[in-house]
Amino acid sequence: MSPLELVGDLDGIARELRASRPAASPALRQRVLALEAPEPRFAFRLPSRRLVLALAALALLASFVAAALTGLGGGTTRSSSGGAVSTHPPIAESRAKSPGPVTHALEGAKLAAPYALPPTAGRLQRYDATLRLRVHDLDGLSRATQRAVNLTRGLGGYVGSVDYSTRSGKRGGAATLVLRVPVANIQAELDGLTDLGTILQQRTGILDVTRRSDREARQIAALERELAAASPQEAPAIRARLATLRAKHARLLRSARLARIVLGLATPSQQAATPPGRLHRTLDDAGKVLVRELEILIYALVVAGPLLLLGAAGIATARTVRRRSDRRLLERA
Amino acid sequence: MSRLRRMDAVTTEFAEAAERHLDDVHAFLVYLTGDRNVAEDLTAETFARALERWRRFDPRRGSPRAWLCQLARSTALDHFRAEERRRRREGRFAARERREDAGPVFGDGLSAELEQALARLSAAEREVVALRVVLELDGEMAARVLGISATACSTRLSRALQKLEKEVSAGVAA
Repeated sequence: MSPLELVGDLDGIARELRASRPAASPALRQRVLALEAPEPRFAFRLPSRRLVLALAALALLASFVAAALTGLGGGTTRSSSGGAVSTHPPIAESRAKSPGPVTHALEGAKLAAPYALPPTAGRLQRYDATLRLRVHDLDGLSRATQRAVNLTRGLGGYVGSVDYSTRSGKRGGAATLVLRVPVANIQAELDGLTDLGTILQQRTGILDVTRRSDREARQIAALERELAAASPQEAPAIRARLATLRAKHARLLRSARLARIVLGLATPSQQAATPPGRLHRTLDDAGKVLVRELEILIYALVVAGPLLLLGAAGIATARTVRRRSDRRLLERA
Repeated sequence: MSRLRRMDAVTTEFAEAAERHLDDVHAFLVYLTGDRNVAEDLTAETFARALERWRRFDPRRGSPRAWLCQLARSTALDHFRAEERRRRREGRFAARERREDAGPVFGDGLSAELEQALARLSAAEREVVALRVVLELDGEMAARVLGISATACSTRLSRALQKLEKEVSAGVAA
């Protein structure tokens, strides 16, 4: 192609450049092909993108597994404010499974079944019991109170006092009943009462007053004998002492004939309104672990983030500067 | 034993790639440096580096030709830096004069006007011409070798060709 033909003909220039491209000399070819592979040296290599992704997925999976294991492993027992919520099954079902050891006072997690010490036949005993039950809601509270009253009356007892209260604007409420039932019916009474809700606390106590009653009976008999032999001047004083002693003895007999039961009914507080099941607790614990992990991650990012950003900015700047420097170098060359 | 076998495999693979792309790399370096002797040395240096790093080459990220051209460019840049330092130390002589006194550099059958026009281009202009016109790399691959965007590569090529055409016209008119 003549030089004149090249003017204004870029295609022609390109063709000529390609046709006359310099080729490597045989000496250079030999030199290059004679190159020998060097011994492999240890060199740090950044992990591949695929490996990084796999590791990230593995870490994520591990965190989920840890969360799940923590959730499954922990939280079988949980206490709300005051430790009132028991994780034991409701009393109706647990009673059939295991009667549990005899204890005078049971509270919280130890509760397994209603327990009533049986009164001893032929002995005079004062019987006291305290029972705290949880009912679901205000309707349940009202129903349970009514049923407790009916049950007590049905067993020949009576209601000593009732204190029923609800908190306005909230779902909570409580009732305290003092019930008196014949000692002979105490077991039936407690059985009936425990069906009204979930037992939170139970306490029973027996005080044997047979000796005291016998002593009072002997004192009364002695005073009667004394009254019979007393002069008219002494008789009124003896009669007064006798009346006081008889009244005291009558109170003792009455207290031994009728057991005293203090029944407390309460709805759970709003937070503890629905005792969480095992699944919910597991999920809750797992969620907490995940949240904790997220917190740690965010914390690490907050701490390391600016440094990483600075590092990235530094690398980007260095690359740009290097590129510009290369460009200038090539422009000058 | 297996290590030796692995090394043999690497050498064989590399020898095939060197055989196939030696002319391309050499041509690119001739255009970049504007000096055949320097280009020969740099070609040998490029392939020595390539052999060292051959295990790191990932064919999924580009062709061996583009990878070798990248290495060649980096080798040439190192050479230019070293030369610049040396010139600064020794004073600014000879290099350019020697180039003008030498015979055809960019191709044996090239017209004198085109040869001179190419010599008047900067290395930055010649390298994009070499990649896009002489080696016929596509825009994206050429841009990757140069470390710039495809658009910038296209602009740079357009300007280099305009200048080349202008220089050729000026040479013919003279």
